[in-house]
Amino acid sequence: MRAAELFFTAIRSLLANRRRSILTMLGIVIGIASVITIISLGKGVEKATLKNLQASNSGKQSTVVEYYADDLNAAESGFNESDLSLLNSAGASFGLAEAHIINDDNGTVDVQASLNGSEQNVTVKLLKRSSSEQEISAGHNISQNNITFADPVALISKKLAASIYIQPNRALDTAVIVNGISYHVIGVFENADDFHDIMIPKKVYKKSNISNVGNKLKLVFNRGENVSKQTKKIVSLLNKQGSHHLQGSYEHIEMGQILKGIGSVINSLTYFISAIAGISLFIAGIGVMNMMYISVSERTREIGIRLAIGATPKNILFQFLLEAVLLTGIGGLIGFGIGGGLAWLISLFLPFRAVIGVGSFLLAFCVSTFVGILFGILPAKNAANKNLIDILR
Amino acid sequence: MIRLERLNKYYQQGDEKIHVLKDISLEINQGEFVAIMGPSGSGKSTLINIIGFLDNQFEGEYLFKRNSVIGKSSKDYAKLRNQNVGFVFQNFKLIANLTVAENVGLPLLYAGYRRKDIGERVNNVLQSVHLKGIAKKLPSQLSGGQQQRVAIARALISKPSFLLADEPTGALDRHTSQEILKLFLDLNQKLRSTIIMVTHDYQVASQSQRMIQIMDGRIESDRSVSK
Repeated sequence: MRAAELFFTAIRSLLANRRRSILTMLGIVIGIASVITIISLGKGVEKATLKNLQASNSGKQSTVVEYYADDLNAAESGFNESDLSLLNSAGASFGLAEAHIINDDNGTVDVQASLNGSEQNVTVKLLKRSSSEQEISAGHNISQNNITFADPVALISKKLAASIYIQPNRALDTAVIVNGISYHVIGVFENADDFHDIMIPKKVYKKSNISNVGNKLKLVFNRGENVSKQTKKIVSLLNKQGSHHLQGSYEHIEMGQILKGIGSVINSLTYFISAIAGISLFIAGIGVMNMMYISVSERTREIGIRLAIGATPKNILFQFLLEAVLLTGIGGLIGFGIGGGLAWLISLFLPFRAVIGVGSFLLAFCVSTFVGILFGILPAKNAANKNLIDILR
Repeated sequence: MIRLERLNKYYQQGDEKIHVLKDISLEINQGEFVAIMGPSGSGKSTLINIIGFLDNQFEGEYLFKRNSVIGKSSKDYAKLRNQNVGFVFQNFKLIANLTVAENVGLPLLYAGYRRKDIGERVNNVLQSVHLKGIAKKLPSQLSGGQQQRVAIARALISKPSFLLADEPTGALDRHTSQEILKLFLDLNQKLRSTIIMVTHDYQVASQSQRMIQIMDGRIESDRSVSK
């Protein structure tokens, strides 16, 4: 009999007993799904860890050191040129390729501003576009034109205006100096959130912020350096000699460390769940075997007929073996689908994405097929070795 | 075509060794319609199991088309059955979850044909046993007579050397029996098919050409039927 016909015959038999086939499959589905879930998560951690250790495309690895001021209201940034020159002078011994300060002006900066002759620590909102939602109590809002043409104009909060000019209206048409640039105050805004003191166009501020300051320092290392160790050295140097080591602290939060932690948890989970899945697959395999034995004894008559009209014992063996393998194989594929979906769903709540690859697909496929062969061979042999005379009597 | 020489068959039943067939010698030629008769337990079923290559455990010589079948493997036996024997059983022995067409075509699948290539042959053979329009039905939807016709169609499809019918009318009423018998006679006369039929009904046996009586494992009589 042709292999394709054998395949078709096996499918027909499974469909004839749909409910039993599905129930038998369930054990395989659960076993494979749990293995695939945990493996996909494990791979996700692995990939995230690797990516975190070598960020740049050129193979150079980078880390970020952050500055945290002791005084939470301090306006000054933690890094400036002196830190860079400190690192540059010692850079070779750290294996540093380059170090640069990241301007952390993601919309808000804390700076010193000069208003009416007095220096103030203020929180400045940098506008990328004109905001019509802003409520203006005096003067007028910064228009889109102001922003497009980088006009040095500013809005100041009613609170700040009141504290300096007593009457907020008097702040109009005065000047506020931020980073050496004089901004023309064109309006006073209601600061409902009590958070921003001044608003200026980001473009203008960017031009002025030539002094290289910021609260983040990006370190790029030469290929092959022990990044985590060198970063630690740099952090301790900064904490001793950094420009602001007295006002705050320099810290490096190693993402790799966190991921390593998650990784080791998942690793031990992998062993644990694999063990459970192994047991589940074993029990499922016994279920398959049981079902196949029942099927063989129920279909003794059919086996007899097939043998009588010319099936060889091998044909019968393969028919039943194929039924078992199809059962577990399909179960394995469904399990792979469910496991992959579950891993993806779980990883939505974790700081990395699950990786569902060809490897896990092959694993699911091979393991389920193997279970089918392992537990299907005895019933299939039993079917093939039936005594034809006894059956047909 | 079939030649048995001093055939002996033993069964082991517990400690006892039962001698079922005793020195059977027999020759059946192409185109014959032979009825084998005998009471139950006489050994007639055992004999046709051996003739039909279902049983290879016996002593003696079996020459099929002048070739000995002694010592052939179970795979060779399966091939012999598939290509040379068309079985018709008392209780039809159709596979319940296959359609009529699938049941009829099954021997061809085991002979290595593709499913899609055998449709026409299945239709032709169903027509030759006077069955039309039931190809897609399941055996359980047919009457006994129809089921036996399906079984005969299945037996005929691989153009076997001989038909082996074990009590083909045993489960049928008198009228249907006569129809099936007529079909056999037609096949024998028009297509010169060789038919070996086991029956214990003298009425049925008397319509064949040759009657062989088996009693206690021996051939009691072997004579042609006078019409």
